[in-house]
Amino acid sequence: MEQEAAQMIGKGLLGLSMMGSGLGEGYLIGKALEAMGRNPDMAGTIFTRMLIGVALAESTALYAFALFFLI
Amino acid sequence: MNFFTDILQVQREIPGIEPQILFEVFGIPVATSSFMIFFIILLFLVVGIIIRTTFTVYPTKFQVLFEELYGAMKDLVDEVTNDIRRSEAIFPMIGTIFLYLLVANIITLVPGLADITVNGNAIFATPTADFNTTLGLALGAVIIINIISVKEWGILAHLGKFIKIKPVVLGFKKSMGDGAMALVDMFVGVLDIVGEIAKIISLSIRLFANMYAGNILMIILMGAFAYVVPAIWYGMSLFVGALQAMVFSTLVAAYYMLAIKPSSEESETSPEEKKITTASVGTTDASVAEAA
Repeated sequence: MEQEAAQMIGKGLLGLSMMGSGLGEGYLIGKALEAMGRNPDMAGTIFTRMLIGVALAESTALYAFALFFLI
Repeated sequence: MNFFTDILQVQREIPGIEPQILFEVFGIPVATSSFMIFFIILLFLVVGIIIRTTFTVYPTKFQVLFEELYGAMKDLVDEVTNDIRRSEAIFPMIGTIFLYLLVANIITLVPGLADITVNGNAIFATPTADFNTTLGLALGAVIIINIISVKEWGILAHLGKFIKIKPVVLGFKKSMGDGAMALVDMFVGVLDIVGEIAKIISLSIRLFANMYAGNILMIILMGAFAYVVPAIWYGMSLFVGALQAMVFSTLVAAYYMLAIKPSSEESETSPEEKKITTASVGTTDASVAEAA
């Protein structure tokens, strides 16, 4: 029974990883929009690079998601 | 009440993280993911033969689609490598990985395919939602990049990237401080071996977790309310599938750029620069001679 409780606490703590990835993505997109505003000609390239960055930032939350099912 | 929940919700089991075994061939278990891998290879073969045989100078709509796709992939690789010769060398690999992942990630979104089952297991499961597939892909990509590095630098120089003994000897010959710095560099170089393994893990888990999370969220949404809401997630899944294929192939291209000699552009430009400098020196000499 105690082990189950510890597992549940661990699963709950994994939710914290969402905070980090959310913060990172918000910062990244905000900076990208700033850059696009400064230099609209480069918007296309900045957008694709932003998408790659967002996917990379999101992966930390997804590592936690994979862990969620392993615990 | 029960009637409404039956109509409004589609209950399905959440699949585990382990691969689902379809059937066994001579004692070797065949998982759904490996079945799908061969299915996609067959699909590519058929499409390739069709394109090859119906290739015309005045393109049909079907051909234009693939020409556009080729152009988009080429631009993607060019953007990373910044060198046409380099991108031509690596394009077959990056393009294959991209196309394969694109099809593999979004093929199960075709309505109805997920409901075809054998022995209670769905045949058409997303192959990249199985960790074995993504681990295999990432491992293959990193091994090929290491082989390219060996071809480019030679086996000793390639090993020298990780075990930096030569700079230590050279540094200590130069001065004590340089030697100490080179010694620190050597330990950092050993850490690069861990970095190479981390590449494999991060590449494979990123793709796997994205696809697995997509599948599970879809099942949860269908269980909660089977109308309108899953449609939005369908669109999101299409987007995420294409994006992850792009991220995987772009990262492999970036690792390729790290593995090869960075001096390719310099070696091209340096003779010209020398010519320019010698020419300018010549002209200054001439002008000085004229002035004299």
